[in-house]
Amino acid sequence: MAQASTKIRNFSIIAHIDHGKSTLADRLIEYTGTLSSRELKDQVLDSMDLERERGITIKLQAVRIRYQAKDGEIYELNLIDTPGHVDFSYEVSRSLAACEGALLVVDAAQGIEAQTLANIYLALENDLEIIPVINKIDLPSADPDRVKREIEEVIGLDASDAILVSAKMGLGIEDILEAIVTRIPPPQGDDEKPLKSLIFDSKFDPYRGAIPYIRVFDGKISKGTNIKMMSSGKTFEITEVGVFTPEMNIVEELRAGQVGYVAGSIKNVGDTRVGDTITDADCPVAEALPGYRKAVSMVFCGLYPVETSDYEKLRDALEKLQLNDASLMYENETSAALGFGFRCGFLGLLHMEIVQERLEREFGLGIVTTAPSVVYKVNTVNQEQVYVDNPALLPEEGDIVSIEEPVVKATILVPSEFVGAIMELNQEKRGTFLTMDYITSSRVSLTYELPLSEIVYDYFDQLKSRTKGYASLDYELIGYKEANLVKLDILINGEIVDALSFIVHKEKAYVRGRRLVEKLRSLIPRQMFEVPIQAAIGSRVIARESIRALRKDVLAKCYGGDISRKRKLLEKQKEGKKRMKQVGSVEIPQEAFMAVLKMDD
Amino acid sequence: MPSLYVHVPFCQKKCNYCAFFSIPYTGSKTFSYLQGMEREIHMRLGEVSGKIASLFLGGGTPTVLSAEELEGLLNSLELFAFSPQAEKTVEANPGTLELKKLNIMSGYGINRISLGAQSFNDLLLNRIGRIHSAQDITRSVKLIRQAGFDNLNLDLMFGLPGQTLSDWQETLQKAVDLEPEHLSLYALTIEPGTPLACSLGEQSYEQSYSLGSAVIPDDDMQADMYELAAGYLRTQGYWHYEISNFARPGFECRHNLSYWRGEDYLGLGPGAVSCLNGMRCKNVEHIYKYCRLTQQGLKPVEDSETEILTQKELIFEYIMLGFRTAEGIDRELFARKFGRPIQDIYGEVLTHYIDKGIICSEKGRIKLNPAYYFVANSIIKDFSL
Repeated sequence: MAQASTKIRNFSIIAHIDHGKSTLADRLIEYTGTLSSRELKDQVLDSMDLERERGITIKLQAVRIRYQAKDGEIYELNLIDTPGHVDFSYEVSRSLAACEGALLVVDAAQGIEAQTLANIYLALENDLEIIPVINKIDLPSADPDRVKREIEEVIGLDASDAILVSAKMGLGIEDILEAIVTRIPPPQGDDEKPLKSLIFDSKFDPYRGAIPYIRVFDGKISKGTNIKMMSSGKTFEITEVGVFTPEMNIVEELRAGQVGYVAGSIKNVGDTRVGDTITDADCPVAEALPGYRKAVSMVFCGLYPVETSDYEKLRDALEKLQLNDASLMYENETSAALGFGFRCGFLGLLHMEIVQERLEREFGLGIVTTAPSVVYKVNTVNQEQVYVDNPALLPEEGDIVSIEEPVVKATILVPSEFVGAIMELNQEKRGTFLTMDYITSSRVSLTYELPLSEIVYDYFDQLKSRTKGYASLDYELIGYKEANLVKLDILINGEIVDALSFIVHKEKAYVRGRRLVEKLRSLIPRQMFEVPIQAAIGSRVIARESIRALRKDVLAKCYGGDISRKRKLLEKQKEGKKRMKQVGSVEIPQEAFMAVLKMDD
Repeated sequence: MPSLYVHVPFCQKKCNYCAFFSIPYTGSKTFSYLQGMEREIHMRLGEVSGKIASLFLGGGTPTVLSAEELEGLLNSLELFAFSPQAEKTVEANPGTLELKKLNIMSGYGINRISLGAQSFNDLLLNRIGRIHSAQDITRSVKLIRQAGFDNLNLDLMFGLPGQTLSDWQETLQKAVDLEPEHLSLYALTIEPGTPLACSLGEQSYEQSYSLGSAVIPDDDMQADMYELAAGYLRTQGYWHYEISNFARPGFECRHNLSYWRGEDYLGLGPGAVSCLNGMRCKNVEHIYKYCRLTQQGLKPVEDSETEILTQKELIFEYIMLGFRTAEGIDRELFARKFGRPIQDIYGEVLTHYIDKGIICSEKGRIKLNPAYYFVANSIIKDFSL
């Protein structure tokens, strides 16, 4: 049999963050008996604790489901999960490329969100068959008809046969499974052709090395196959082939149309890049699958250990994280204030926060993070073009002809009553209005051109608070634009703290500087001496505050009955001090470094 | 030489800032307490070796006991072998002091009275839940002198709700006018769980605490009060020999100095703490439990609170306590006690603070510069091991 099996369906689920994707996936798995409900921890697919807590999928997962359809045949359904955040849209596009169909899950009360829209467009670009699913129909505020209209008007998709479900109550699950079988086409492809398979994710296993998750398009792959990574030309011998059920289960081979994993003592996830094509080294295909690109870091920040002696530990931790996360970039960096650390590049802010949190949780490291920065293009008087991702490395003012900053095209979907609020926000954020479309009478899609740095700097929080959480955002990088940018330095006790420097639009420098020094004054505890805090552009101080000297820190009484308790109190205070960073003679708490990022109006 | 502390956990009424173990005085509870005390004394007599250098009867309010009860307690304490020059202090409340009680004390060799004056401002006294007036203090001091005591301490508090610098100055002056040999000045500390802490509720420190309309002086104001007091008392001939304590030369409280010198102490009574040979234990904070345990012939300690101090803890405590005093830490004594010179353990941090003039090193002793007493914690915590 050369043709790929007609009994295979590969699909993914597209949904906004809390529209119930994970619960639905759980129900499908449960319904088909892939796992007993006892084994089924809620939300199987989100396997990192962090994911479950945040209710978002960061790392992709895939699972094979056996389903006996009403036609009596047994089908192999491969559910390929996608991360639900704009930082990871490239990963989403690759997992969609591994599918023939997708469930579009929309909350029956909330309607379509920007994120969903972005992913649906990705799915349509990949020619997927889309099955609209309206979830949460059990909610009193559910309005499936309105949502159907929205799907038709906004996406132009026929929603007349949308499936109404409540994943929570387990309603409509069989309908979904049947629709997957009948409406999604089986994979095309040929077993006999040379191996051509797509890496849509990878993970690192301490025993098996880097494990690419693949979709086979043509050919087959089994133990002993010599594979070649088409982006790098590197070759590996396959030692294990398997599928996810959702545990890893070894199988004989993966054939055209199938989804699973392979292992072959690949030491580095950097060799199993998402989007890359795996072929047979002995009989390679001529052309790789389209769409491969290297992950591009959008946001950078410095990560430093609170305890200088933890530098090695931090390096090891980053190395380990990178094993699982090829999009995490890092290199050595030295800060005058913070000592030895790393400059790290992330796909976006969320990605950055996740890495930070994992370092603290999984590796028990105290981390100081410097202000996130985007990559600026600096044109110098020597007619050179320098890329700067660390404000501390910005050339001298006199050497700069102009600075260009990355700009994005942002799409914001919002109920019409918040249009004013959104326009206001984008104005404050130096946005340029592009378009406004009423997708229904009550929902509006706005597009703006915005500097990426403005999105990095508390845009999400503002967006949420100004629209009561109703707005959703998607953005893509569209290029660089010249802007009137300056570097703002913070001086604590007369010394520039390089880790607090940031690049900002000149018109905003004063307000930001003013706010930051105020914030720092409240975050830095009083010290044994008075500590001045200044914000400066070049040598010009634009804001100044001072932390008065500490005057009282004493135990009034310390007699026989007090000693143990007081000793413990002081020991605890010393522990607290360990979480401070000593900059010059001033002790600065971790949060102070994050203050640059989080300054509310 | 060890010292002896006896806790009398009764008060006529508990003050709203107090976090010590104390309960309202009643005849039946006092009976149980005294019974238990009698048994605990017999039981623990052997734990101290050598003559006892000092006795401190504290509370609660020892003087809330009736003359007979007080006599019974002092009588049973006679079983201990005190050194002939032992300093023996009883804490007294100006609201419960009578000449009769003073005469009994003096008859049992009590030679020092510590009077909880706190303030000479009736409004402030009332606000913190004291049962006495300023006039009671003056009256008590007269009685104490009349009974022949020549070593008197007055406890004073600053940083009280609504207290101003001039209130404080007035209190200090009135205290000094009474010519006590010793003064203890305590900054009001808001201890969690106290009625004061509860009535302050969840106020954020930014806005500064206030009790009703009475604002609790902030750290800066308290620091000013402290400086005012230290400066004034110096001119009045008191020597600032510990963070919170001032005395005429020769009248330093020997009992308390023994704590700060890291010496052993035996604590009797519910809630009392003992520290003997590197083991610290605390008695149960409950009259009937205390009574029952002693009845069963058991040491009335709260087992969960017993600590065997590690060498590191012993060293840190020695530093923590030593830096509270003007005499500071004797390098030679330290080395003998812990088998290593102090700079071996604290080289870097010690040098750092000596270079900055925050710690003074002279004549074989190291001590905290008194200008930093009121921020002592910030420095001392760096010595934690």
